[in-house]
Parts: sequence; structure tokens; C-alpha cells
Amino acid sequence: MTSARIFFIGGLMSYRALFGWMNPWIFVPSLLVSPVCQILLFAYIGRSAGVGDDEFYVIGNALNYAAIPCMFAMTFTIGGERFAQTLGLVLATPARRIPLFLGRSMPVIANGWFVAMFGVVVGSMLLDTDIPGSAWPLIALVVAVGSLASTGLGLVMGAINLVYRDGATLGNVLFLVLLIFTGTNVALDDLPGWMAAVGRWLPLTHAIEASRMLADGAAWGAVSGLVGTELLIGVGYLAVGLSAIRVFEWLSRTGATLDRI
Amino acid sequence: MRQQVVCFWLQLKILLFSPFEGFLAVVFPLMFATAALLVYQVNGDPAAMLYAGIGAAAMGIWTSQTVSATTLVQRERRAGTLELVVAAPTPFSLVLLPITFAMAAIGLYSVVATILWDWWLFDIALQVENWPLFVLSILMAAVTIALFGFLLSVSAVRYRTSWALGAALEYPGWLLCGFVVPLDLLPAVLRPVSWLLAPTWAVEGMRAAAAGESPWGDLAICAAVGLAYAALAAWLGVRLITSARRDATLALT
Amino acid sequence: MPLTETPAVEARDLRRTFRTRQGALRPTRRTVEAVRGVSFEIAPGELFGLLGPNGAGKTTTIKMLITLLIPTSGSASVLGRDVVGDVREVRRRIGYVFGGDRGLYERLSGLDNLRYFSELYGVPPREQKERIGSLLELVGLTGREGERVEGYSRGMRQRLHIARGLLHDPDVFFLDEPSIGIDPVGARELRATIAGLREQGKTVLLTTHYMFEADELCDRIAVIRSGEIVAEGTPTQLKQLVSAGRVLEVETYGVSDDAVEVARGTGGVRSVVVEDRGQLQVLVVSCEPGAEVTQHVLAGLDGTRVGRVSHRDPTLEDAYVELVTR
Repeated sequence: MTSARIFFIGGLMSYRALFGWMNPWIFVPSLLVSPVCQILLFAYIGRSAGVGDDEFYVIGNALNYAAIPCMFAMTFTIGGERFAQTLGLVLATPARRIPLFLGRSMPVIANGWFVAMFGVVVGSMLLDTDIPGSAWPLIALVVAVGSLASTGLGLVMGAINLVYRDGATLGNVLFLVLLIFTGTNVALDDLPGWMAAVGRWLPLTHAIEASRMLADGAAWGAVSGLVGTELLIGVGYLAVGLSAIRVFEWLSRTGATLDRI
Repeated sequence: MRQQVVCFWLQLKILLFSPFEGFLAVVFPLMFATAALLVYQVNGDPAAMLYAGIGAAAMGIWTSQTVSATTLVQRERRAGTLELVVAAPTPFSLVLLPITFAMAAIGLYSVVATILWDWWLFDIALQVENWPLFVLSILMAAVTIALFGFLLSVSAVRYRTSWALGAALEYPGWLLCGFVVPLDLLPAVLRPVSWLLAPTWAVEGMRAAAAGESPWGDLAICAAVGLAYAALAAWLGVRLITSARRDATLALT
Repeated sequence: MPLTETPAVEARDLRRTFRTRQGALRPTRRTVEAVRGVSFEIAPGELFGLLGPNGAGKTTTIKMLITLLIPTSGSASVLGRDVVGDVREVRRRIGYVFGGDRGLYERLSGLDNLRYFSELYGVPPREQKERIGSLLELVGLTGREGERVEGYSRGMRQRLHIARGLLHDPDVFFLDEPSIGIDPVGARELRATIAGLREQGKTVLLTTHYMFEADELCDRIAVIRSGEIVAEGTPTQLKQLVSAGRVLEVETYGVSDDAVEVARGTGGVRSVVVEDRGQLQVLVVSCEPGAEVTQHVLAGLDGTRVGRVSHRDPTLEDAYVELVTR
């Protein structure tokens, strides 16, 4: 019961506490306008280079951009506490760590899903791509799985944030890695072999591929394997993140890195 | 003058030590340039690669300004120094100007880095007919974008969420200034917006110089637009500081 | 105090309101009157204290005087120059230092911080080096100036701040709670530095919560409460203003509310404050001059365990507590 409360109520409260500075003046430009602009940028690069079609870039970049809210918010749920110097207080409580941190990830996943879906919808409207109506429910599901996987990576970064203070820079670097390696703008087949191999281990790669297939009219059976892999990758990152938090929490107790901001 | 030089140098120091401006402002556009070139590489047309390579080189100047310039005032606010520099007798515009030029210096560094990177990763050897004019065009791009950043940072004094708006300018700028996409491809309604952006003309100038044509016409327009930014910023600077003093928005974080 | 020359700082009926907005979708607007009609004068060379609880309007008042905020109404001048109209001249001649550890460029060394502000204050290049050197000496940072501010302790930051405020040799110096968060030794050194400023003939406006600091340093004090000045005078005058009498302190264990009421009702008693000190409650009874209240108060405490009973002269703190709580 306590754990359930920590998961739902604690998760939501900490989200409100840590993102209290968020307002429409920040949310709209950085989480709604920017992804659409990124879509347009690469769609036009594609047109200019004569590579791919608009739908390819809409889906790739919209999902890629979900990584921004997912990873940053998740990192910030730990880094932000560090900045406010409340992290030590939270870690001093007896609350179980798994519901504590997973509860924090739920609003983050929901936010990432919304940002990505907004990108897909607005991007397709602006560029006149036609994704069949029947594909939308499954695309929405796949996007949710992709958000979960990016949030998993975010949790790993949050853990690193316990021992390394510059989480925001790290988050940006990882976003760039995702931009290039997950097939956002260049299909994995067209990437050099080693890049594609790295991409297979990253979140979003399989979700992007599955969404593109769905938009081209593929049935659930054709993409279920990809979605399963994405889910597996996401759960894997979450597990790594949670164990890393455990290890780093112990390390920071011995090395006293926690209170340094 | 001395004040400008010393402040430029000290601000450059701050930026270089900062993981955000000193590292990300270079790496971020570099990776976007890479992504763009990866797309161009799929078809492997060398002319298109060269076209994109030239523009991609200058992407970093734009980032270092739009993003850093608007976060600049936010950074001063957070450090608690914004009030102190406003309270100094030096006009605030003269405080901001060397900072934006320090950012432009970072931008120039990113140009060199991108050219080397493109050469190493994609084998794009820039074929430039007229190197002096090409370099001049890059410098013009850096200076006029710095003036644009100056305009942005002045407006950020009054509106405290402007850093988010500034960051959101990054992608549209890359698109509208024609760094990696020919402007003819864009919808005609957006063309006047491109014309108002000084870098558009500087990038045109770079391409002209690389192709051995005369960049002077483009550079003249670029300079004129840049001066207009500076004039607007100086005028706004006085007004916005006064209004910030009236509405007490200086100390807010 | 009669003022024959131009006052160094003059505030005339200064007022400042803030409009705050809460909520993004359905904003509710509120108007807060932070300063409501503050007037005072500071003579050249005087060390003037502005005392008041948190949120009383001290910082807002200072920010209007140093040109960072425009008064909603009223006017103020520094060295005869208007703080709204003659901004540059005022800024050239004042120094401003606030407490806490913000306001410095963390990634620059202490020396570079000073160099940066010397430029902004237009300190002539030839004098700069010597001036920075002697200021570092003054605040005791010589030898540490090459390190980045990130690694400075709070006390070091505060001293660097003071050096920064003095770079351009200002005539009027504004210190906003400079001793906040500094250890006792550091605070003592800081007080010595501030006293030194007055000896050099600088005019200083100091805000603080610490009574002994104000008592020790200030020539004159104004107590500000909810944006209004409620008392003004020398520390001695202020002590007399409230309590030109004696203070009786009675240590008790478990004093009842009734007993406190009895003490309040005793003739000659001005006020009674109960202070908790661990298990003890100390009754602080301030009395009229010449009133003999000890017996009555003790009689009212019948049945309560009573510890030490003592008399003392009123302190500035007694005066202050009475002024800001009544």
C-alpha cells in the first residue's frame, strides 16, 4: 500500500514540484514548436537531397524528439533535486526505491508520448502525408512503448547524475547519438554497418521502424516483433537504471558526492 | 574600446569553461550537420554534398548565438550578477556586446571544427575559388549573427522565458537561412522572412565566393541588415531596461 | 539631526508596489505594497542602518536608491542626483553589495571578477592593478585571487563582493544584509571593514537583522516594518524610545497563560514576552522607569517553579522586538 502510494501520488507530486517552473511560454516553444521544426528541417533536407519521403522524416523526427522530454525530465527528477539540495533528504527516507523512481517515470512517459504524437499529427498535416486512419491507434501504442524505452535511458542518466553533476550536457549528447544512430533520418540499411549495429541496442530504433511500417499499411503481426524488442530494450534500460541508482547511492554515501552540486 | 576588449576576453573565458557553451554549442550543430550530410550521402551526389557541406559549416554560428544569447541573460540572473551589471555605469548595451562577440568567437571555432570534421568523415574537401572572400563571408556571418544575438539577449532582459523561445529558433534558423536546403524549395510565403535574416545573405556570399563569383552584393545586404539589428537592439536596450526597472523583472529567476 | 549640507542620500515618501500574477491559464493578479511612503536622510559620512524583519521592504528600498527599481511614487536622490533621472551619475558614485553567495562569476577567478567589474565601472587602466591589489589586501584574499570562485567559501565570496563594491571608490556604499550566513569570526572581520569605511569618510547604508551589528556600527537607525518606518534615531535614542526603563527577566518552568496575564496587568509593566529556552520559559518584562514590579510579577507566578530572577538594561533587541511586533 505504501509503495503504491509512493508510486502514484509521490510520482505526481515530485513531478509537480520539480517542473513548477514549466509554463506555456516554455512548453510550447520547446516541446511543441521545436519538434515540428526539426521535422520540417529534415523533410526539406530530404526533398533537397532527393532521399526518402516526407512521412519518413515526420515519423523519425517526431519519435526522436520524444527523447528530449523523456530523457531530460527523468534526469531532472534526480538532478533537479540535487540542485534544490533536496536529494539527500529524499534518499534519507525509508521509501522503497523502485516505486519511488518508477512512479516518477509515469508522468514523464505520458508527456513524451504527447510530444511525439503532436509531432506526428502536426507534421503530417503540414507536409500533407497521408497516414491511413486505421494505423493511428497502433502508432499511438508504439509511440508509448518508444517513450517508455527513452524514459528507461533517462533513468540510467538520472543514476549517472548521482555521481556526475552535469546531467544536462550528457542528455544533449545522448539526444544527438539517438538522432544519428536510431535511423531517425537515414534508414538503418543506409547507415554504415557499425552505426546500424549500435542503433539496434538503443531505444526508439525499433519503435521508429515499426511506426513507419504501420503508416505504410502494415498489420500488427508484421510489427509485433519490433515492438516487443523495443519494450524489452526499454525494460532493460529501466532495470539497469534502477540497479545503477542502487550502486551509485552506495558509492555516493562512501564518496560523499551527493551534496556537491 | 578597452572595456570591450577586456570584457570580450573574460567572457570568452567563462564560455570556454562552460560545458554548455564551450562544448555543446559546438557539438550540437556539428551532429545536426552530420545528420544532414548523412541524408545527402544516401544518393552520393558530390555537387549536392559540397553544397550542403559549405552551408553546414556555418550552422554552428547560428546555434552559438540564438541559444546562448538568450540563455545569457538567464545565466546572469541565476548567478545574481544581472543586477550588478545593470547597476554599473557602463550602458547595458556595451556590457552585452562583447559577450555576444565572445559567443561569435565560439561560433567561428565551430566553423573550423565542422569543416575539418566533414573533411575527415565525409571526404568533403571544400573547393573554394576565392578563399579570402570566403573567409570574409564567414566573418560577416559571424558578426551579423552576433548582432542578431545581441538583439535577442536585449529582449531577454525583459521576458524571462525568452531562453525557451531562443532555443526554439535554432531549427527554423537552419532552415530559413538556407544553410543546408536551397531556399527555392521553401514555400514562397517564407521567403521574405529569409530575406530579413542576415545569415541568409552571408551564406549566399559564402557559396558565391566558393564558386568564384562575386559575393559583394550579398555581403552588402548582409551588412545593412546586421546594422539594422544593432540599431534596433540599442534602441530596445534602453527601453527594456527601463521597463524592467519599472516592473521589477531583473532579479527574478 | 540638523542637516546643513546636501544629504548624501535622501528619500522622500518612496513607494513601490509589485503586481504578481499566479497561474498561467486563469491568472489571478495581486498588488503588493512593498514600500509605502519611506522618507529619510543620510548625512555625508554617516553610517545609517535600516533594520526590519524579512519582507519589511529593506531590499526594495535599497534597490530604488541604487537605480535598479523605479519608485511607483515619491522621489529619492543620492549626492543630490535624482535616482530616476540621473542614472549614470548616481551609478558612478555608489557601491552596492548584497549578502549571500550569489552575484559572482563562478567560472572566473576572483581576480578576473574584479577586473571585469573594473572595466564596467570605468576604472582607469593604469590605476586598476594597484587598486585591485590593495582591495584584495583589504579583504584578506591576497594569494587566493587566482582561484576560480567556484571553490571559494561563503566568507571569501562575501569579502570578494565587498572588494567588488569598492573598486571604483564610491562615495556612498549600500550594504544589503552583508553578514548573512557568515561565521562569527568572519562577521567580526566584516564589521571591522565596515567601520573602516566610515573612518575613510564614506557614507554607508547598511541593512541587517543583527541587533548587535547595528548597535555597534550605526550612527543612526531606522526601523522599518511592513514598508513603513516606525522609528528612527541613534541606537541610544531607540532604546530609550521604547524602554527608558528596566527589563526584568524571570526563568520559569511551565509558566501558565494566566500568570503571564497577571504580569501584563501589573501597573508599570509595558510589555511581557515569553521566550522559550530549552525547558525554560523566560518571562521578559519591560517596565516603566522607576516602577517596582518584581514582587507583583513573582506573586502572580505563585505555584510555578521559578529559577533565576534578574534585572538588566534594555538592549536594542528589546526595542526592536517591541517595535516590529506591536
